[in-house]
Amino acid sequence: MSEPTIDIKEFHWLMEMLQTIDVGLVVLDKEHNINVWNSFMESHSGLTPLQTKDKNIFDLFEELPKDWLMHKTGSVFMLKNRSFMTWEQRPYLFKFKNNRPITGTEPFMYQNITISPLGSTDGSVNHVAIIIYDVTDIAANRNALEKANLELETLSRTDRLTQLNNRGYWEECLSKEFSRYQRYKTTCSVIMFDIDHFKKVNDTYGHQAGDEVIRLVSKVLTKNLRATDIAGRYGGEEFGVILGNTDAEAAMIFCERVREEIAALDVTYEGQLIKFTVSLGISQAVDSTPDYVTWLNQADQALYASKEGGRNQTNTFKH
Amino acid sequence: MTIPVLICDDSSVARKQMARTLPDDWDIEISFAKHGEEALAAIKEGLGDILFLDLNMPVMDGYETLENIAKQNLPTMVIVVSGDIQPEAHKRVKDLGAIEFIKKPTSKEVLSELLEKFGLYRPTEGTAANTPPVEKTIVKGEIGQIEYRDCIQEIANVAMGQAADLLARLLNVFVKLPIPNVNLLEVSELEMALTQTESSATYSAVCQGFIGAGICGEALLIFSDSSFEDIAKLLKYKGELNRMVELELLMEVASILVGACTNGIAQQLDTSFSQGHPVVLGQHVKVSNLIKANSKRWKKTLAIEITYEIENYNISCDLLLLFTEDSIDNLNKRLSYLMD
Repeated sequence: MSEPTIDIKEFHWLMEMLQTIDVGLVVLDKEHNINVWNSFMESHSGLTPLQTKDKNIFDLFEELPKDWLMHKTGSVFMLKNRSFMTWEQRPYLFKFKNNRPITGTEPFMYQNITISPLGSTDGSVNHVAIIIYDVTDIAANRNALEKANLELETLSRTDRLTQLNNRGYWEECLSKEFSRYQRYKTTCSVIMFDIDHFKKVNDTYGHQAGDEVIRLVSKVLTKNLRATDIAGRYGGEEFGVILGNTDAEAAMIFCERVREEIAALDVTYEGQLIKFTVSLGISQAVDSTPDYVTWLNQADQALYASKEGGRNQTNTFKH
Repeated sequence: MTIPVLICDDSSVARKQMARTLPDDWDIEISFAKHGEEALAAIKEGLGDILFLDLNMPVMDGYETLENIAKQNLPTMVIVVSGDIQPEAHKRVKDLGAIEFIKKPTSKEVLSELLEKFGLYRPTEGTAANTPPVEKTIVKGEIGQIEYRDCIQEIANVAMGQAADLLARLLNVFVKLPIPNVNLLEVSELEMALTQTESSATYSAVCQGFIGAGICGEALLIFSDSSFEDIAKLLKYKGELNRMVELELLMEVASILVGACTNGIAQQLDTSFSQGHPVVLGQHVKVSNLIKANSKRWKKTLAIEITYEIENYNISCDLLLLFTEDSIDNLNKRLSYLMD
């Protein structure tokens, strides 16, 4: 029986197939000189097979991660074993443009890479094939999903009107802060405050004016926050602030600053001047505080004392 | 003069293959042992002037057996037959007194040549065809009932050795080889088997599908996260060990172990597998979160579990080869040559 032979015509269409297949195909020798460069590579790089033939790949593409690629091809030559790389490891090997330059969301082509050893007739491996798959759509979908999840997470814990944390998430933070306090005994305080006679603002000027007042209070509050402070809208006109590394005295300074700034605000709504104030209550966590609910309740009691004392003032809960 | 020959291997398939590979015209009496302790006893009874010894066995492994033979000065010549083809394994058994090391699966030609080299056997004059085979009596022990599981275990054993050899060469270390665990598992059992590991530790894993000759499945490589520091050291990665570097290391080791193992199995089944691109299942997660098994689509899986550990380093990883239920028949057919 004779060896199966491929006639020249067959060889021609076999080559044609490799040329036109929609994945990148590059064959390198041990010195990383290019032996094969198919039309996918030609189209995306702008270099023809003739321009790349026997050229060193690192001379033609200076942006290639040389050490990394040499390490990979080195182990493929040594172990005669295929090596795989995903876009999650490294978004691309060759910096090619997105296949869909108009409607695509990503600026470049994400790639999965396979490096295969190519055996010669004598069993030795003197060449490797680098196969480049375009996985831009997969990567774009995954990235979009992650971004959407992140946005959802933010949305689910943000108050729409004030952009402060909503009650659920703020209480979660408060509970965590209290656990931290119990574990490390770091000083911390919680503040509760609300807008004095808010119902009157609503009744006199309408709900939209009320909303505007709430927005302005949040703005003053946000402006005075330090990076580690956590503020939330607790209820209609009620707000809470967690102050880490802060004792009752320092919290008092913070509260008084907020109170004075708010009292000084001149809000004009549809031509009418609205003046309003806030009452505040502070509680510092101490050894006898049993849980975060009690801690918050104590701040609420101090707030009640401020109301009783004539409003537009701050009180601290006495342990 | 009839020579007493002892074959020591825990696998019935390997015992049978070994017995079949011995020259037909060699005047010997054969005994079998399933592990080192049995082998030592048989040698003391004078049943093992020549010992063919496997390395990875329960009760007493090949290394301990060699140590004991030397310590007790037992009269035997040991030829190690193992799937562990790491150069270091080769060197260690020679240092422990083995006269030669042959890799599994071995062939008649390799074996006769070796036996001739040591003057243990001389082929009879004339062509093999007209030399009547010498009747070989089995003195002690038995090949044992060959079961399908044994065949798979032996195939896994050889493939695992090939993979370990590549890893050893890449990292320049000695890889400790276990006895592969072969089980037909229900889906729920698979989850249980996976969660048996420390519940507090976190893991990273990649999976890669393979298919060919009506056999398909997935390879899962599960790394304990505490391994990364040492792997980075061995692969000479400098700088901070962040998620990206860990992913890089994970993929590198996965390419080697999964590639070599599935290739090794395919070779022995006389076929080849196409491999899909590896997919990251998760980084720094509990094992129970790695596999969200599609329990509705399949009920049973044939699982080969191989735990690789690297000597003197805090590195351990689990390679799981999971074959689908509908692959088992085709696997069976391809294995029949080992069973008859």
